[in-house]
Amino acid sequence: MTQATYTGVLDLAAGAFLLAAVLVVWRRELRALVRMLAWQGAALATIPLTVGIYQADAALIVVGVVVLLLRAVVLPLLLARAVGTEDHERRESTPLVNTTTSLLITAGLTVLAYAVTRPIIALDPSPATRAVPAAFAVILIAVFVMVSRRRALSQAVGFMMLDNGIAATAFLITSGVPLIVELGASLDVLFAVLVLGLLTGQMRRTFGGTDLDQLRELRD
Amino acid sequence: MSALAVAAAALQVVGVLAGAPLVVGGMRQVRARLEGRAGGGIGQPWRDLRKQLRKQQITPRGTTVVFALAPAVVAGSTLLIAAIVPLIALGSPLESVADLFGVVGLLFLGTVALTLAGIDTGTAFGGMGSSREITIAALVEPTILLAVFALSVPGESANLAAIVSATENHPEQLVSPGSLLAFVALGIVIIAETGRLPVDNPSTHLELTMIHEAMILEYAGPKLALVEWASGMRLTVLLGLVANLFMPWGIAGADPSLLAVLIGLASITAKVVVLAGLLAAGEVFIAKLRLFRVPELLAGSFLLALLAVTASYFLGTPTS
Amino acid sequence: MLGAIGLALGLSVIFGEPRQLWIGWLLPLVGVRLDLDPLGGIFVAATGAVAIAVGIYAVGYAKREHWARFPLITLPLFVAGMLLVPAAGSVTTFLLAWELMAATSLILVLSEHRRAAVRTAGVFYAIMTQLGFVAILVALVVLSASGGGDAFTTIAANADSLTPGIRNAIFLLTVLGFGSKAGLLPLHAWLPKAHPEAPSPVSALMSAAMVNMGIYGIIRIDLQLLGPGPHWWGLTLMIFGAVSAVFGVLQASVSTDLKQLLAYSTTENMGLITLALGAAMLLASSGAPTVAAIALTAALLHLLSHAAFKTLGFLAAGSVLAATGLRDLDKLGGLARRMPVTTVMFGIAALGASGLPLGAGFVSEWLLLQSLIHAPHDSITLVALAMPLSVGAVALTTGLGIAAMVKAFGVGFLARPRSAAAEAAREAPMSMLAGMTLAAAACVVFAVAPALLSPALQRVLAVLPTVGGDSAGPQIDTILRLPGVAGSISPALLAAALAIAVLLALVLARWGGRHRPPAMVTPLWACGADSLSPRMQYTATSFAEPLQRVFDDILRPDTNVEVTHFAESQYLVEKVTYQTLMADPVEQRFYTPVVRAVTVWAHLVRRAHTGSVHLYLAYGAAGLLIVLLVAR
Repeated sequence: MTQATYTGVLDLAAGAFLLAAVLVVWRRELRALVRMLAWQGAALATIPLTVGIYQADAALIVVGVVVLLLRAVVLPLLLARAVGTEDHERRESTPLVNTTTSLLITAGLTVLAYAVTRPIIALDPSPATRAVPAAFAVILIAVFVMVSRRRALSQAVGFMMLDNGIAATAFLITSGVPLIVELGASLDVLFAVLVLGLLTGQMRRTFGGTDLDQLRELRD
Repeated sequence: MSALAVAAAALQVVGVLAGAPLVVGGMRQVRARLEGRAGGGIGQPWRDLRKQLRKQQITPRGTTVVFALAPAVVAGSTLLIAAIVPLIALGSPLESVADLFGVVGLLFLGTVALTLAGIDTGTAFGGMGSSREITIAALVEPTILLAVFALSVPGESANLAAIVSATENHPEQLVSPGSLLAFVALGIVIIAETGRLPVDNPSTHLELTMIHEAMILEYAGPKLALVEWASGMRLTVLLGLVANLFMPWGIAGADPSLLAVLIGLASITAKVVVLAGLLAAGEVFIAKLRLFRVPELLAGSFLLALLAVTASYFLGTPTS
Repeated sequence: MLGAIGLALGLSVIFGEPRQLWIGWLLPLVGVRLDLDPLGGIFVAATGAVAIAVGIYAVGYAKREHWARFPLITLPLFVAGMLLVPAAGSVTTFLLAWELMAATSLILVLSEHRRAAVRTAGVFYAIMTQLGFVAILVALVVLSASGGGDAFTTIAANADSLTPGIRNAIFLLTVLGFGSKAGLLPLHAWLPKAHPEAPSPVSALMSAAMVNMGIYGIIRIDLQLLGPGPHWWGLTLMIFGAVSAVFGVLQASVSTDLKQLLAYSTTENMGLITLALGAAMLLASSGAPTVAAIALTAALLHLLSHAAFKTLGFLAAGSVLAATGLRDLDKLGGLARRMPVTTVMFGIAALGASGLPLGAGFVSEWLLLQSLIHAPHDSITLVALAMPLSVGAVALTTGLGIAAMVKAFGVGFLARPRSAAAEAAREAPMSMLAGMTLAAAACVVFAVAPALLSPALQRVLAVLPTVGGDSAGPQIDTILRLPGVAGSISPALLAAALAIAVLLALVLARWGGRHRPPAMVTPLWACGADSLSPRMQYTATSFAEPLQRVFDDILRPDTNVEVTHFAESQYLVEKVTYQTLMADPVEQRFYTPVVRAVTVWAHLVRRAHTGSVHLYLAYGAAGLLIVLLVAR
């Protein structure tokens, strides 16, 4: 793999990674959100795979394959099962912030991410670190998604995006994390998703819906 | 500037004039076939034009010269764009007259002329169409200029020839995130500007959902022919422009030979046909958006354009 | 009365003259120092030119509107004040001229003081302008005290010795003070009140010439005397400019009052100019003098073209007001047939204001965009982040500006009249038309042949060494080329080519005409119903409704829909009333609390006012003692 292809693929992966996050903000159908998450997982997996192939590092390739399986296949499937079968459950109810404003806020967050990661890139300018802002922007966008969405499932998607963003940042800055660390983190996420799925089911049985605003009733 | 360069520019204008109805007809035909209808044939828009051009001139009562001149302004500005942008060859004699910003300005000049004509009729539909059209145009402008910005980063110029030759010399930049995002953003705004689905339905018959059609409701005969011809030309020129901005292969150089001009003509025809076919096929699967969901689409494309600029600023590998 | 008009004319002509005097020129009067350099000269010239057009126009306007003698005498004084501000060579002269300009403009705003709206606007204007003046006063006094002299030339020589703290303080104060004069957010609130309420020639003078003085102050003090300054100076100006531009144009695009729309458009254009100045500062401080020069040229050119098209716009609006008594776009319409010349004039102004090709504002906005996209982006993050956002802001401004101007021109002048007053409109008298024609000619020059202004702009750039350096500005020739970067445009050739193309299209439409029956006039299509009444037309409110909905979160309109049903059935509607109130959100959020706080303070202070003369004397004595102790 030549330097140019390596840079190109890495940039594209980072771009797709960010784009998936933007689309999560944009779309409202819960199934579409889960699909976007799967795409994002695939884009995320491309990063360690590319770096692994370029540096001929077998451990990284293994990490990449694990990430691909877990984040592009297993987790989205689990989440997709949690999406309600009832009709009114398939869409995000009116978000707290309207879509147009959300998109503009996303734009602002991305610009902010570019601004704050400038020093990190300056430390070690390489094709990998130059894509860090995209990963960091995903972290910020994920936090925003969690803040602004009502459905429990959208929250779960936001949480997964957050984790994806952190993982991507780690891959890009350190050119790969040890296998064991990555496995540990991924297992954590897996458990978190399982718990979230259980909780969502519980919520639906208790309240008849997954609108988080109903949780307020617990306080009274 | 050689005589052939001038000839190539003239060929662009003539080609757009002759080809626009065919592009529209082809798109309708693709749609009809995919929806299981026979369709009117590729030449149908041309036959319509010929019929309308022979009809009586009609002036709706109370309209002014604005209404009478608007079709000519739309058609004229589009023809001028066709002469400026590099479709067949790079070195148009009008190349230094307007850059991409100027082309965008000309495009909006046409839009404004038509919206004023819509208001000038003094009917509810005319005003409605104009109001919607200008709202969309106002929101399209930021995206379109940011996309221009993103495109001008690699070539360090907003001049069309500079952008096209920069892409030609560094084809690897095409697959960079900046370029791809700019492509998507520009695609969305061109769909919005030319009134295609999902922003506007060009074949609608329901007045309340019309945008472009509502504005031109009072036109008939030769003036209607000119308006429809012009909107076909706008679509054709913009498709050609996008094709050459992102896939410049085959375009003739600044000082072309006869063969190069012919190759340029063939390649641009092929590109426009492919793009138009894809657009028409895509339209089969989507419905028109609610008017008040359109800003979401445009905000999204604005975001993509902004990302395109930042990506080409920060990610972009310096051209070496 | 006619004598006073003659004086207005004379003054404007005389003071229009010095535009030939580009050489620095000293005139020491008694303590008044006038020092006209090219920078001041271009402002004097712009003011003079505006004053000539307005002066000619005012002859007819005053006769038609039966102006009192007092405003007619004040008008030339106001012009004189505006001419003296950029000609002032020292801090004292500058402040004197500034105050003359402010006071006379206030009198003119109040010239129709019998209407309540005018009085409110006057009070608002008086307070804002005096607060702005205080900020400028403090800044300039500090500047002259620490700069070691009264004259600008002395200060310029000593400018390097100023400490950063003083520089920053002066910068902030002057931006506030001059910004309030230029109508920048959030100090713009007086502008959309005072400009529409003043008589139209005065509105034209205020909107086209007086606001420029705010820009002049920023250029003179912050760019020329204090140099490019740190990055955040330029960034502050850019933010102020971008916010003002977007907010101003947004208000303009939903406004239904013709003159208020133009006033908000002034805020918008001043915002764009400030954005360009800020970009010039930022670029100069990040080591890109060539691009900075482009931004500065854009600012100056936009200032001049704005003066031209805004004069024309207000004068045409004044003609409409004089002919119909209406400013409300919802009641206008159909003027194209009744006032054809005025319609053409307003069309030229609107084209200029919308920044489209063939309009007066196109070249300057193009230059601004070019300077923004050619900023160096690899060294400084701030620049790389600011530029795309500014391009977005400028583009949104242009887009909404087009919508606003299409609304003003289309709804106000085209279609059918929406009221009896609009139906009875008559064309304005000769002198008003002559005044407008002059301004229109200027607009055409800016649109087609900005090359004529090139020498003037070059000389101004040459006296601003801190920004732009000695690098040449853009080559404004028939084909406009930029130095150092690839980019060119030719407004003249573009206009010619467009004319040819439109003719070609017209020829195309004749094709097959031999077989055609003769043309005929037919009624409008009414969906099969009898006929369309003018009330069925889209009004300005309905035209702007989609935009208003899109920007609901910013505009916060107060909408009231009341549906009255028939008693028999709730499915039949008797009548629907729809009311929407568009208040300035910034004014409501920002000013109301401030005013409330001031009132509370005033009540506190009132307790000290018992009415006893002895107590007042005691206050004075105590104050004197404190001063003596402190100044010991």
